[in-house]
Amino acid sequence: MSSALLLAGFVAFGAVTGVAAGVLGVGGGVLMVPFLTLVTGMPQHAAEATSLLVVLPTAAVASLVLQRRGIGDLGVALRFGVVGAAGAAGGALLALALPGRSLRVVFAVFLALVGLRLVRDGLHTERP
Amino acid sequence: MQDAGEPRIARARFLDPQLLAIGLAGGVLSGLLGVGGGIVMVPLLVIWAGYAQRDAHAMSLGAIVPISVAGVLTYGIAGQVRLPEAIALAVGAVGGARVGAGLLSRLGDRPLKLAFGSFLIAVAVLMAVRH
Repeated sequence: MSSALLLAGFVAFGAVTGVAAGVLGVGGGVLMVPFLTLVTGMPQHAAEATSLLVVLPTAAVASLVLQRRGIGDLGVALRFGVVGAAGAAGGALLALALPGRSLRVVFAVFLALVGLRLVRDGLHTERP
Repeated sequence: MQDAGEPRIARARFLDPQLLAIGLAGGVLSGLLGVGGGIVMVPLLVIWAGYAQRDAHAMSLGAIVPISVAGVLTYGIAGQVRLPEAIALAVGAVGGARVGAGLLSRLGDRPLKLAFGSFLIAVAVLMAVRH
């Protein structure tokens, strides 16, 4: 693949991830880490690091748009995010020390259960 | 279950232990897996803290900002960040995020719950397949 095409592929994948991140309220790393490891062959730790650097401006831009529209409370969010930052540094140090395969299974089961609950709640929510 | 008629709006309490626990859970997961952490913070904000779905998405995005700064710094010091790939992805993602946040501000809680729930199930399946 030519490098220009590869670059365009990255920008396009980034755009799709950004839309999903803005709607879903996530950073988009859940999409980017598999993309970087499976499609581009990047090692796991480098993919996680690179993903986080993309997550940062994505969440910042989406937050500014939402704050302007008066959705949520950015001040409160930043406050509990700062506490989360301590956890993130700890989590990253742990990740750098571990391969963490079994953690993925637990995490996947957790996501499936929560996803089912939200879909069920969504189906039971009355239309406005 | 959260009553759709009376969603909890952000209360400006500095040290709400529930929010701190949610931030911490999101942060640890973020650093560990290289994700934003929204995938755990959004469901916890809705199911546990009682926020409306749309407010939860917005609060999660705000919390991700400081969380990802800490993760980037930690991985950056370890020399793991690949700058060219990150810049190319970020160029697309920043534009996409504006569109996505605009969509979020127009969608109701029902489609958001269905979208987020389906997203979680899809991610779980993806993780199981990769494993």
